[in-house]
Amino acid sequence: MIEIDLELPLASFALRVAARLDGGVTAVMGPSGSGKTSLLEAIAGLRRGAKGRILLDGRVLVDSARGMALAPEARRVGYVPQDAGLFPHLTARANVGFGARADAEAVASAIATLELGPLLERHPASLSGGEKQRVALARALATRPRLLLLDEPLAALDVGLRGRILPYLLRVRDEWKTPVLYVTHNVGEAIALAGHLLLLRDGRVEATGAPFDLLATPGMVTDAALGVENLFPGRVRTHDPEGGVTSVELPAGQTIAVPLAADCAPGMQVTVAVRAEDVIVSKGVPEGISARNIYEVRITALSRTGPDVTLRCAAAEGGPTLEWIVRVTPAAVTSLGLGVGQTVFLAVKSHSVRLV
Amino acid sequence: MIGFSLATAAGATLLILPPGVLAALALARYQGPGKGVLETLLALPLVLPPTAVGLLLLEALGRRTPLGGWLASQGIVVVFTWKAVVLAMAVMSFPLLVRSARTAFEEVDLRLVGLARTLGCGPVAAFRRVTLPLAWRGLLAGVVLAFSRALGEFGATVMIAGNIPGKTQTLSLAIFHNNQLGRDDRALVLAGVTTALAFAALWTAEWFTRRRTRRASA
Repeated sequence: MIEIDLELPLASFALRVAARLDGGVTAVMGPSGSGKTSLLEAIAGLRRGAKGRILLDGRVLVDSARGMALAPEARRVGYVPQDAGLFPHLTARANVGFGARADAEAVASAIATLELGPLLERHPASLSGGEKQRVALARALATRPRLLLLDEPLAALDVGLRGRILPYLLRVRDEWKTPVLYVTHNVGEAIALAGHLLLLRDGRVEATGAPFDLLATPGMVTDAALGVENLFPGRVRTHDPEGGVTSVELPAGQTIAVPLAADCAPGMQVTVAVRAEDVIVSKGVPEGISARNIYEVRITALSRTGPDVTLRCAAAEGGPTLEWIVRVTPAAVTSLGLGVGQTVFLAVKSHSVRLV
Repeated sequence: MIGFSLATAAGATLLILPPGVLAALALARYQGPGKGVLETLLALPLVLPPTAVGLLLLEALGRRTPLGGWLASQGIVVVFTWKAVVLAMAVMSFPLLVRSARTAFEEVDLRLVGLARTLGCGPVAAFRRVTLPLAWRGLLAGVVLAFSRALGEFGATVMIAGNIPGKTQTLSLAIFHNNQLGRDDRALVLAGVTTALAFAALWTAEWFTRRRTRRASA
């Protein structure tokens, strides 16, 4: 467990973080410049000037009141920066084995987890961005850290590569069981990896909790990059290559059709994301339209939000309900005569659905 | 005489290597007050006339100063011996070594050093395993530069070591000496020898650097 009670002077403000984090992966999110990287550096011991305390498994890393700060090499905290930070003069193998505590067994299993076998004799200059990240992860793991700090490990990679690195991060989480602080801007990564979320804003912790709940709460995440209001946990059911769709089962027993995602094996847990403005509202059963996903729901709340109107809708029948957030224009509310308690139909094109 | 020149120049370079590397590291990393003064002081021998430096050294080693007195009481004679040659070379080459080494250290990404620390290396180990290998080329260039400067040292040497053939006469002193005696042919031969030595030093450094680059990009 890591206990943080810190005040960190930054260029334009002071970051205050008080949090107790259990094992597993904790995602750290927040707008650019909110001090996420500085927080990681303070925990790793690479940034001075932090006031307060940091405890890792009851061990004091920093206690400024007692004028105490462990040297980075004594903290047993692994750090992987955004650009991987590999030592350019060493091969991938020498990078992984660099750590003072990296014994042969830990090195071998880190290499196995991240499937580095074919890369070992290469120098960082000849590795791709994703390969560098894997080597940097293995290098940190091989020292058997008590805590792993990952600073946007996927940010520098293009979308296709992210999907290929994510499984490695899942393996690190599940096989090494090292607690992880994971800085990211990406909702999908946070939900896929983290059991806990720390949301930083304006130099303080705005919210903590389960990523899914926090990110699905409207208004909680206003960052433009995080503008996905409807997030549902799902399970891949079947693929239809002919029709170009994959069917995903939602918690309420409903299904949703998404663009063909053949690389997701049936049974795989996924997160379904639909933007609130991509949902079409209809008073009657929509017929003859191309949208593949139609749900009968009841409007539970209706509120004016800026230029738009936001509807909250729950499944019409009983049982576990999915709450939909829908954004429409005031004109649509007037012409359809929408009001709380009404039953309407929501239509979602499969191309408006993303798996994250 | 060629051997004597090579030996004293090499000795002077070795002598200044540890303090030079430390000074370069301090200048590259230290950001506090007094840095400017320190920098200027360290660069001073570069811009002073070598004869002035020689004179200062001569005064410092004279029997009237505490240092000179102490050396004399220990029975150590520096002035007008080979030790004075090494000393003059060392003092004049030191700033060149520090300049190159400092640039080399400044080019090493400090975050990599920090990462080495998180991987369990203490400050000394991080220096040896990350900073040094990454600054290696610049350091080597500094060493070659310092060695070449030592080989060509004239002004300060002539002041504190004199120009005693067979005892303190180096190549560059001998070139001047022979020219003064009207033996231009001998002076020319010696000039040719220094050119060859300087070429060899530069070429060796280049060769090391090229080999290293090839390995790193293989």
